[in-house]
Amino acid sequence: MKREFAGDRMVDVFARKRAWHRRRAEAPLVEKVRILLDLQRQEIPLLAAQRPLRRWERPWNITP
Amino acid sequence: MASLADVFRVLARMREEGVVIDYAIGGATAVLFYAEPTRTYDVDVFALLPADESSSLAPLVPVYQWARAHGFTVDAGHILVHGVPVQVLPAYSALVVEAIQTARVHYYEDVSVRVVGPEHLAALALQAGGARRRERAWLLLQTARIDRDQLRALVRRHDIDVEIPDEA
Repeated sequence: MKREFAGDRMVDVFARKRAWHRRRAEAPLVEKVRILLDLQRQEIPLLAAQRPLRRWERPWNITP
Repeated sequence: MASLADVFRVLARMREEGVVIDYAIGGATAVLFYAEPTRTYDVDVFALLPADESSSLAPLVPVYQWARAHGFTVDAGHILVHGVPVQVLPAYSALVVEAIQTARVHYYEDVSVRVVGPEHLAALALQAGGARRRERAWLLLQTARIDRDQLRALVRRHDIDVEIPDEA
């Protein structure tokens, strides 16, 4: 009984996750570019901690 | 500060001025037009070059010369267009040529930009292989509107050994 409940919860979690991905995919293009610029700014320090960055790996200094 | 539209304007100008015969944005930047954003730090641009250049040993020299003449720096195989690294890739396979010729015209703000269609984008990712590109193809299958029959025909025609599922 407990296991079934957990299974239902997981189905719900995956469904919400799919819906979240779908919303991001259907966002206006300018919003998606804004997300990309955010991703770049968030990821660069993590990438730099793992390996030397290539010369062109840096956040784009532009507006969406 | 420049915007992505300014970068796209420069690509259109390269085509207008005959530096490239035709072009289409590919890679993760193209994915933005059809699916959820994935990280990238450069803009891949597939290009059909004038006949004289495409058979040369250094086909991109005229493209780089044009870029420098317009005030853009060329570094590590990328043209820095308003600070955005743009990598121009001469069409290297029949699939890329087809992807350029069948590119879709999108509008970003008021700028028209040629972008590889989603089926060709997925086929190119599957053909290139590697974990990140397979992930990109999967992302397109999951979140973009892909004509799966067209994608199946594409992978068959270009000898890409992959099964396209009915649902991703």
